[in-house]
Amino acid sequence: MGVSGTYDRGRELFVEDPIRAVIIVVAVVLVLDGVRQLAVGATQFSELGVMLKDGLMRGLFFGLAGIGLSMTYSILNFANFSHGDLITGGAFGGMIATYVIAGGFGSEGDIGSLMLLGSGATAIALALVIDRLVYKPIRDRSGITLLITSIGVAFTLRYLILFVFDGSRRGVTQSGAIPTVDIPAIDGTVSLNLHELSLVVVAVGLMAGLHFLLQRTKLGKAMRAMSDNEDLARITGIPTERIVTYTWIIGAGLAGVAGYMFVIWNGTLHWFQGWILLLPIFAAVILGGIGSIYGAILGGLVIGLTMSISIMWLPSGLTRAAAFFIMIVVLLVRPQGIFAGRATA
Amino acid sequence: MSEATDSGAEAEGTVGGANRETHTWQDSLLAVRNLDAGYGDLQILTDVDLDVQDGEYVTIVGPNGAGKSTVMKSVFGLTSHMGGTIEFDGEDITDTQPEEIIYEGLGYVPQNDNIFTTLSVQENLEMGAYILDEVPQDAIEEVYNRFPILRERQGQKAGTMSGGQRQMLAMGRALMLDPDLLLLDEPSAGLAPDLVDDMFDRIDGINDDGTAVLMVEQNAKEALGRCDRGYVLVDGKNRYEDTGDALLADEQVRQDFLGG
Repeated sequence: MGVSGTYDRGRELFVEDPIRAVIIVVAVVLVLDGVRQLAVGATQFSELGVMLKDGLMRGLFFGLAGIGLSMTYSILNFANFSHGDLITGGAFGGMIATYVIAGGFGSEGDIGSLMLLGSGATAIALALVIDRLVYKPIRDRSGITLLITSIGVAFTLRYLILFVFDGSRRGVTQSGAIPTVDIPAIDGTVSLNLHELSLVVVAVGLMAGLHFLLQRTKLGKAMRAMSDNEDLARITGIPTERIVTYTWIIGAGLAGVAGYMFVIWNGTLHWFQGWILLLPIFAAVILGGIGSIYGAILGGLVIGLTMSISIMWLPSGLTRAAAFFIMIVVLLVRPQGIFAGRATA
Repeated sequence: MSEATDSGAEAEGTVGGANRETHTWQDSLLAVRNLDAGYGDLQILTDVDLDVQDGEYVTIVGPNGAGKSTVMKSVFGLTSHMGGTIEFDGEDITDTQPEEIIYEGLGYVPQNDNIFTTLSVQENLEMGAYILDEVPQDAIEEVYNRFPILRERQGQKAGTMSGGQRQMLAMGRALMLDPDLLLLDEPSAGLAPDLVDDMFDRIDGINDDGTAVLMVEQNAKEALGRCDRGYVLVDGKNRYEDTGDALLADEQVRQDFLGG
């Protein structure tokens, strides 16, 4: 009974939903092969630990950066292609803040948190100025008009950054000097340095703070209300322009901080970094269900972990392709994304 | 109210009733005068006059596309204004922004999309009182007493509720600031037939508590039977105006708009 019942259900799934069935089979094969690799030593446990850690870092970054993208989509109703360059702008802003503060107080000062503020503040200032000059006059236009405009804004921002800070790739950290702890894994260790730890703390802290804001505060509830139904929000007396301003402040602030965290985690900084990162961030946001911040976080983790763990089966040059492939697979099964229509903001 | 009754008596006196110049109102709570309005360049309303007195229950009926909902949207500043004026409580609100209208003492329940589906029931009510600094617990309590099902569902996502419950939530949200005038756009639309009477009873209750009601309704017979006064709108223009009972009794109105 049990076996034949399972067999019947399996056959039903193949007949009714072959895509889902194939995905399940492939996933099971990959997991089994992963176990085999660990068992025969083709992949060591410590290597897997490093991949998981890297994937987590990348995923938290994608999630943090994706929140703003998802928010502008749900509240301003367009896909903002200049979001990546806000990330770059924030990272450079953080770097300037570092120079200024280090110049003023000497490199001994505890300047990490101030640099974080510098990167967030730079991205916020950029976003608010751009909104006033570019997006506000065309607020009522269609999403396509706004999207194409944002591509123009992206190019302008990127080449302004290139003009101000030349096109070199800068190293930003002395990697030898970072405090590091080794976490024992079964057949080796996984090292975790202070930069990685701070990325986790900052990202998780900001995500928790945002969750609190959206669920518990009047501003957050009004943001969710506006993303749900803008006309109804207006006739309820919610000042929509002020909500738009807060959306830019939160979205761009998180993008700037994410850019800065990425730079200290990755160790380099260059003028088109944000643009390159924008595509996987978009993948994360679409995968999670565009418009949902929880979807952005979850999608970020899925994309980040996929990019890291796919190395077990694919050449490292294909990690990005693997991430997009996962996105397509998820959208085949859930075309609206994982969190679509739920808990948006 | 007494004025409305007078006008009804007058209209009944003139054979065939229906004449748009029956009455010039004064000191109306809501006074729409010679309103031209539409969407973009498309004009829907031409020279519309409409009044609601303090505490009155007024219904707008008419065929599809007559511009009934457009009148309500215009009051809330959601259409392109092309001429005429709208006064509320003696104040000109013609050019007031939609997000400012609520400060005047008006509540509006649109026909569609009239709740925040991803917010909880309680959060929907909180949004109804957004313009206040503090969430008025007594107002929420009052709404829960009026619609007890909402109290049971207070933590539930509004979008998961039934049509009737959504309509109650939409009304509850609009009542949070205890408005002087409540605009209801087709409150019975999409409700199961056995819920329609209940909905109209609840609207009677809201009006009995002193809130003036301006309602657009497809269910014209039922609505005219319950309201103080009615307007028949055709092609974006006033056609008839009289007490509800007089309009129901009018041969012409019955034939043209109430299906005999």
